[in-house]
Amino acid sequence: MTLVLEHVHKVYQDGPKEYVALNDASLQVKAGEFVAIVGPSGSGKSTLLSIAGALLSPTSGKVLLDGENIATLSKKEVTKRRLEKIGFVFQAAHLLPYLKVKDQLNVISVLAHKPKQKKADILAHFGLEHRINNYPNELSGGERQRVAIARALVNDPKLILADEPTASLDSSRGQEVVKLLAKEVNEGNKAGVMVTHDERVLGFADRIITIRDGKVEFVND
Amino acid sequence: MFLAIRELLFAKTKYILISLITTLTVSLIFIVSGLAEGLSADNASSIQGLAADYLVLEAEAEGELGNSFIPMQQAKEIMNDQEQEANTLSVQMMNATIGGGDKQISLALFATERGGMLMPEVMEGRFPKQENEVLADDSLKQEGIQIGDELQLGEKTSYVVSGFTTDQRYSHTPVVFIESEDLKQVNAVAVKGVAVTDGDYSAVPKIDALGGIPSYSQEQASLNMMIIFLYVITAFVLAAFFYVMTLQKRDQFGVLKALGANNKYLISGLITQIILLSVVSVGIATAISFGVGALFPADMPFILNMATIVQPAIIIIVVSVLGAVVSLYQVVKIDPLEAIEGVAA
Ligand SMILES: Nc1ncnc2c1ncn2[C@@H]1O[C@H](COP(=O)(O)OP(=O)(O)OP(=O)(O)O)[C@@H](O)[C@H]1O
Ligand SMILES: [Mg+2]
Repeated sequence: MTLVLEHVHKVYQDGPKEYVALNDASLQVKAGEFVAIVGPSGSGKSTLLSIAGALLSPTSGKVLLDGENIATLSKKEVTKRRLEKIGFVFQAAHLLPYLKVKDQLNVISVLAHKPKQKKADILAHFGLEHRINNYPNELSGGERQRVAIARALVNDPKLILADEPTASLDSSRGQEVVKLLAKEVNEGNKAGVMVTHDERVLGFADRIITIRDGKVEFVND
Repeated sequence: MFLAIRELLFAKTKYILISLITTLTVSLIFIVSGLAEGLSADNASSIQGLAADYLVLEAEAEGELGNSFIPMQQAKEIMNDQEQEANTLSVQMMNATIGGGDKQISLALFATERGGMLMPEVMEGRFPKQENEVLADDSLKQEGIQIGDELQLGEKTSYVVSGFTTDQRYSHTPVVFIESEDLKQVNAVAVKGVAVTDGDYSAVPKIDALGGIPSYSQEQASLNMMIIFLYVITAFVLAAFFYVMTLQKRDQFGVLKALGANNKYLISGLITQIILLSVVSVGIATAISFGVGALFPADMPFILNMATIVQPAIIIIVVSVLGAVVSLYQVVKIDPLEAIEGVAA
């Protein structure tokens, strides 16, 4: 999977006022590459990630997933792409409170009309094998975030997007989680993009992109 | 289904409480329906069960059996005009005493030709043989009347109960049937099949003649009004509950959409929950209503059977689903973006 953004603009209409959140942003993420996005608050990082993840459509520009421009697809098609190709990790874990850990993962298979496979492997991989039958309110913050990552990966998506995945974690837990993400991306030949404020996790990224005032300013190879 | 069921089980308390409320309103619907059915039978079972399809009444009576008077001569002509079987029917409301005692009993005296089709079946005792013998509704037993007892009507007339029939009530009183050949006027000619009439007389389908029984329409209308209000209340309670639940779960719906759940899946989950809830409520309410019905005294006009319940049950489920439409609209409107920047869950 490769992710390509070409000349993406995003203008928020706020009543009569217009606010340019992204101004001619372009970037490329190759298969197996884990990219970190940094920048000051309000610079447009979350906006960029939402556009890459088809949660938001750009005002102009192209968003290519493996060459397909998702910016012009219908809402229904876009939802399908998200299910099939994209794994999200949010700032908060956003688990469903009424599902046990194993069902947090099963729900993806149900949505995708795929048979529920054994989730034990992937959960063991994240050190959650003993928490399979627990509800989210019985987990620690770090465990919840690991479940969220496992959920993002369960459908084997080719694009992984994470918006400040370590914000709710202490620094050692945060490092652990990002390390896991980087490993999944590198070994699974996926494209990975992570927005972060946390400098201590930047070391796990293959590249760092800086955004300032809606412009991609600095690409560090 | 996957999510709908798990959420129901996880938030049991909430859903049990709401089912409790709907179970109570649904029970009330069933009990009032049973009462309506019971009162209807108590008022009109003798007409509902009449072995005829049409009643020919005096045109001026406007469908009211009690206001229609047909001289015997005319009645005979009407009978002769009919293609199928026809018999005269005379209805008189009376007070009687048992063998001249003090206790007054109200009853309806139905008179018809000897050997005609209108006499009901004998359940106990035997068919009237002599001129002064009558067939009585078995609800008269509750007044202490037995086979062989004498019913004194006024000073001169008295009848002997030769047997009992069942389900023969008119205007909330038991019916007593007599075969009589010397009537001077009757109230109606009861006809099988299609009735043939001319200008002075009009034929009314048996069911429409019920409206002509005193208080029948008013009784049924007020009970039906209660039932309709209960439907509306049940629908509103469920609609409000699911609306609030949906608002509370906005961010969950947002997350699911971000993960790739489409509207169709989320909506069918919501409808599954509503149908499950109303079906469970209807099920429990059915048991409660039959239980309550069994506790009622035997002479209380209350008839509840599966046939009485099916129609309201279907209406309740349909109305509940309709009430959910506002919530469905909320679900469709939710933007998956709400999840990504939402507060921690
Ligand atoms: N729905 C919206 N309507 C109007 N303006 C918006 C909307 N969403 C975001 N913005 C504005 O767009 C700009 C970029 O927002 P964005 O959320 O992408 O920033 P960010 O880089 O993720 O910031 P942070 O680091 O604080 O999360 C901000 O100035 C924000 O106020
Ligand atoms: Mg942000």
